[in-house]
Amino acid sequence: MNKKGQINGYTCILLNILTYFTFSLLSPPITAQTNYTVSGIILDKENGETLFGASVFFKGTTNGVVTNEYGFYSITAPKGNYTLIVSYIGYPEITREILLDRNQKLDFKITEASTKLNEVVLTGEETERINLRKPEMSVLKLNIKTIKQIPVVLGEVDIIKSLQMLPGVASSAEGTSGFHVRGGAVDQNLVLLDEAIIYNTSHLLGYVSVFNADAVKDIKLYKGGIPARFGGRASSVLDVRQKDGNSERIALTGGIGIISSRLTVEGPLFGEKGSFMVAGRGSYATLFLKASKSDTDIGFYDLNLKTNYRLDENNKLFLSGYFGRDKLSFGDDFGVGYGNASGNLRWNHIFNNKLFSNLSIIYGKYDYNIDFNIDEFEWISSISNINLKYDLKYYLSNTFKLDFGASSIYYDFNPGQITPTSENSEVNLLKFDNKRAFENALYINAEHKLTDKLTAQYGFRYSMFNRLGGQEISNYANDQPVIYNNTLGVYQRSSETGLTNYDNNKTIKKFGNLEPRASLAYQLNESSSVKMGYTKAAQYIHLISNTNAVSPLDVWTPSGKYIKPQISNQIALGYFKNFKNKSYSLEIESYYKTVDNRIDYIDGSNLITNTIETEILKGESRAYGLELLIRKNQGKFTGWFAYTLSKSEQRTSGGDARGPGINNGKWYNTSNDRTHDFSLTGTYQLNDKWAFGANFVFQTGRPVTYPDSQYEYEELSIANFSDRNSDRLTAYNRLDFSATYKPNRKLDKKWKGEWVFGIYNIYNRKNAAAVSFGQNLETSVNEATRSSIYGIMPSVTYNFKF
Amino acid sequence: MNRYLRIIIFLSAVLITACEDVIDVDVQTVPPRLTIEASLDWEKGTTGNEQTIKLSTSTPYFDITSNTGVNDATVKVTNDDSLDEFVFVNQNNGTYTSSSFVPVVNQSYTLEVLYNGERYSATETLTPVVDIAEVFQSNQGLGGLDNNALEVNVSFDDPVDINNYYLIKFKEQGDLLPRLDYTDDEFRDGNRIEVFYEKYKEADEDEFIPGDIVDINFFGISRDYYNYVKLLIIQSGGNGLFGQTPAIVKGNCINIDNTDNYAHGYFRLTQVVRTNYTFQ
Repeated sequence: MNKKGQINGYTCILLNILTYFTFSLLSPPITAQTNYTVSGIILDKENGETLFGASVFFKGTTNGVVTNEYGFYSITAPKGNYTLIVSYIGYPEITREILLDRNQKLDFKITEASTKLNEVVLTGEETERINLRKPEMSVLKLNIKTIKQIPVVLGEVDIIKSLQMLPGVASSAEGTSGFHVRGGAVDQNLVLLDEAIIYNTSHLLGYVSVFNADAVKDIKLYKGGIPARFGGRASSVLDVRQKDGNSERIALTGGIGIISSRLTVEGPLFGEKGSFMVAGRGSYATLFLKASKSDTDIGFYDLNLKTNYRLDENNKLFLSGYFGRDKLSFGDDFGVGYGNASGNLRWNHIFNNKLFSNLSIIYGKYDYNIDFNIDEFEWISSISNINLKYDLKYYLSNTFKLDFGASSIYYDFNPGQITPTSENSEVNLLKFDNKRAFENALYINAEHKLTDKLTAQYGFRYSMFNRLGGQEISNYANDQPVIYNNTLGVYQRSSETGLTNYDNNKTIKKFGNLEPRASLAYQLNESSSVKMGYTKAAQYIHLISNTNAVSPLDVWTPSGKYIKPQISNQIALGYFKNFKNKSYSLEIESYYKTVDNRIDYIDGSNLITNTIETEILKGESRAYGLELLIRKNQGKFTGWFAYTLSKSEQRTSGGDARGPGINNGKWYNTSNDRTHDFSLTGTYQLNDKWAFGANFVFQTGRPVTYPDSQYEYEELSIANFSDRNSDRLTAYNRLDFSATYKPNRKLDKKWKGEWVFGIYNIYNRKNAAAVSFGQNLETSVNEATRSSIYGIMPSVTYNFKF
Repeated sequence: MNRYLRIIIFLSAVLITACEDVIDVDVQTVPPRLTIEASLDWEKGTTGNEQTIKLSTSTPYFDITSNTGVNDATVKVTNDDSLDEFVFVNQNNGTYTSSSFVPVVNQSYTLEVLYNGERYSATETLTPVVDIAEVFQSNQGLGGLDNNALEVNVSFDDPVDINNYYLIKFKEQGDLLPRLDYTDDEFRDGNRIEVFYEKYKEADEDEFIPGDIVDINFFGISRDYYNYVKLLIIQSGGNGLFGQTPAIVKGNCINIDNTDNYAHGYFRLTQVVRTNYTFQ
């Protein structure tokens, strides 16, 4: 079958399914009473931003919905008189008497509670409050305002570092990219910025995340219970949405910090019909770092764009983009550049008051280049994708809602290419094979209110991965790229027995997975509920990395003839309670997760190669844990206490390659394992001028591999290392503090400024990012050297709004 | 390529590291293991008859007793084709010597060591090496760390169309520790390849000054030994934040009687070019 045929085949199946559902659902259910629907959009009056997660319900009933990502709601009830309530914390509740005798459209523009300066905002954010009735669980929501209040290193507001203060999310090490969700690896997080896949989440080797907080509207991290509309990663989904842009007036937001500055401009466009947002951020040319003493340079910049245009009341277009770049240069000798680029064109279409749809075409790319001027060559590598997505939400009745849709992603991998930059270069031109793949998925998911107390969410995703031809694939004896050498007791690369050339229109390997997703919420009483969930997810692309921390130069590789997709299964159980009139909330969750086909690396693996299959073995991993989150949502003091008790392990047997496997085929700690992870975050609003914030973090040290003996060889003392990850760094802990000062302002003055003073790591603890072993040059005695990233770090930032 | 990326990674790690200090850590301990340093290196232009094999045992990582020589073993090497045996005589200081070894390029040999009632064995082929083309000094910077420090460069012409692997050992006279470097020709087949040795004050080294003498050993090595020594070098360079997860490195000396009790070290046979360079 040729490629075109397959695509048409998929499209066909897809269309059939969609048609089936659409028709079967559009025919109205037979009911005794006549039902009517009220639908619309909830917006913030100040800036025209649509509000995600606002509650809309009929007073005195359990009939209610929350707005979707585009602020849309639809609520259906039998004919009658109702009081409609719109609630979003931080905003006063809005009530509207309505006579439901026909379908109607009602948009709400709501105003933030405190516009007067002498009032202090004492409320947390609605999006962060737990919804007891909804089966949604294992989700972390942080409002951008909350994020901005958390003390941060060097005054750089950081979404990812803020998430790491919540249970179930751990960092790799200070100064490194990525995060770990429920014991998962960095590459198991699907990170989306306005639906576009972001492959590397950090700037400056982990100092700053790629998300400019001024450009972001809201974020949601799914640690489990991943909705069927997301797929492609085994552990989590981080869904970051950019602001639409102020549709009421031109507004400026910005800040000047010690390592970077930022400026956001937003405003209406095409009269009433649209708005735009442009945000830029850049670090200063020569940095604060140790490097500043030599001619080494390190820096970054990024740009966020968004604009939308309302065609009519049922059609809206969005265009958004991101471009970010890091640059490092070491004198004239080496230059390194890397970054993400993405773009997304969306079309929101409201078919009718019950059926909402969004069609997106999305582009994403991550690439890096290294210029070795000293040896006159350059090295480049990239991954890019184009994604077409169609998502529909059907508000069938007040007890039944349906999400369904399809997604198709085309990937292009360029694992590496070396190009000499002059004729004298000592290297030859070399290019690793480009790889291509198609990832398609269909999904359907129902949110079904079974009784007033019991709500279920169930559905599935069917994903298909097609590794496309257009390259040669190596063959090995017995199809074994890695073999165990019994004599020497080591895993070795097997020799190629030949090459198979796959044409462009051929498929190298195909995979398909049915991924069921289900969850259940049972409301125990007015203030508490229990929930449970199950998620299966397939991950078809893998980040190849065998270093202690993920580096920006690691390369992604698709599943194929020798690499199978990672399959994760997770169950979670939770208890949720609001108390003291919703001003406190308690969340307890436990989970158990397994991942099959997790890649593990043979001892001494070389990852810069055309045949990555000769360097890896197939393993499995498992993680389990207990998470506790207590939050105070209202009052002068807000904050949370988070604790996670967990275990993350992996096991790699020899499998088809035979032999004992890694660490003799026993379960061993992954480097993401943190037994205890404890954090306390608080903000105290003293008055309308001063606010104070503090963090305390304590975490079990990362598993590492230390030597267990030494021997003399070639006049050197050689360290012999023990089993992989059988030691640990010392525990990580630190305390941070911040103070925010808002100078007196006149009521009518539009310029609002604030000073943020911060001290990170107040007691200047040297937390080990890594410990390395070697001989002292003077004495030749072995010693252990600790590298730590941040000592005590004071900072000052000025933020403004206009 | 790996080598280059390691440099980049190393420099990046230097960049972001605010602080480095020596600390006490608890490490695991294991029973001692035999270490066989059987490096039969045939210096070009000599007969190569004089050869030494060192035997010792491993010690706890932070142990500073260095005298662990093994004096109760027997050692011999056999030419696998002619079956000529070369018995290495115990010098009772942890070394075993032969003055009648006959090196033959591309010839396979087998080492046999008897120690504590167990037989250790290894087989390896003698790998030839090309001549050094040029040894010269320069003061090019590396990675902006320092643009003025002197370095010594060794260049050679890689034979085209065959895979070659090299080990280069530099040691400044008077230093305690040598510097080992490795390279293959994966990306530079048939080209002139340069290797250099520079000392960095950033790594607490004394930079080279005129008058310093560096001994240079340039070895041709087998692919298997390359894989071994490369890992050894990478891991002895420390394993920082972006360092490779360290692994157990096993050489080619197996224990025939008790597989788990393999020996550290390697039985290597190389051709070597030795020279030295005095900084001007």
